[in-house]
Amino acid sequence: MDKMTPESDDLLLRYIDGTLNPSEKQVTEKNLEQSETLRKRLDQLRSTHLLLRANKLYEPSKNFTQQLMSRLNYDPSRATSFPIRNGIFILVGVLMVVIIASVLVPAGVFDNISTTIDLNQVEISNKYIEKTLPSVSVDGKLMVNIIIIVNLALGWLVLDRAILKPIFQRRLHAGR
Amino acid sequence: MTNDPDHPILDKILAGEQSAYADLVNKYKSYACTIALRILQNRPDAEEAAQDAFIKAYHHLSGFNRESKFSTWLYRIVFNTAISYKRKNRHQFQSIENTVVEYQQEGEGMLERTDKRKYLNAAMARLNEADRTALTLFYLEEFSLEEIASITGMQANTAKVRIHRARLRLADELTSILKQEALTL
Repeated sequence: MDKMTPESDDLLLRYIDGTLNPSEKQVTEKNLEQSETLRKRLDQLRSTHLLLRANKLYEPSKNFTQQLMSRLNYDPSRATSFPIRNGIFILVGVLMVVIIASVLVPAGVFDNISTTIDLNQVEISNKYIEKTLPSVSVDGKLMVNIIIIVNLALGWLVLDRAILKPIFQRRLHAGR
Repeated sequence: MTNDPDHPILDKILAGEQSAYADLVNKYKSYACTIALRILQNRPDAEEAAQDAFIKAYHHLSGFNRESKFSTWLYRIVFNTAISYKRKNRHQFQSIENTVVEYQQEGEGMLERTDKRKYLNAAMARLNEADRTALTLFYLEEFSLEEIASITGMQANTAKVRIHRARLRLADELTSILKQEALTL
């Protein structure tokens, strides 16, 4: 036997494990005597087997249990797993909107944009309210200013919850 | 329900004796960290994943149906937690000082043993996580094929075949690494 086959590999592994029956063992030993390829393969498999057997259990650090018991009331499965990278993307998006709007408002781009919403034309209000409703005028500049303020608040929230908080939590766990 | 010696400890914990959990942690921490280490190949991450798995197990203890041993259920959580850590940290660079090389205190033969283990770990790193874990559990000689299958989420027959194939593949990888090493010398 000069060529290795899945069957010969199987026999060699079982020979190493000592799980061959007497007749299989005899045949395998006879084949081993006759084939150098087989003997080399046996050496390969046996040395891997011995290395794996010598591989010991990994002993964690001495304060493993103490650290763990102090963290026991924190459930990682209930913690938010929102990646910091996504938080940064959202923050960049929000800041871009604020910057663009802050540049466009002083330039007067929104000065001439205004519209009037007549609430009496809304179908639902006609159906349920019998009184005449006032018209609401919407100033474009005011709307953009409101958007800037909302975005600033949103940016602050994203920075705090999705970026800084996870970073500090990670550092806290790493330092334990 | 199995006749597991851990069940009285579990009853104590469920009755509110939180400190009893430390006994279970001490009993299973080495195996839990070894499983996590085989998957993550990095000690600090392995310890953190094992700790998270112990905490998850603690918080879901009331849901453990006791049809398997507590240890098998716990190691399954460790396995899944380590796999999700691996997916989360796939992009991270593996620091050289954290790679899995065990150092021994004795002087004689230390270098040779360290080298052999280094090559073994390098060869192991070429297998997938499930095969590495199954192989490690198989060689720890503490687990039945059914337990290994349950921990790694496979059928018992699949686990047997995968361990068999992983042993052969590991031998091939080890040979290939040693050949490469010999060529670079």
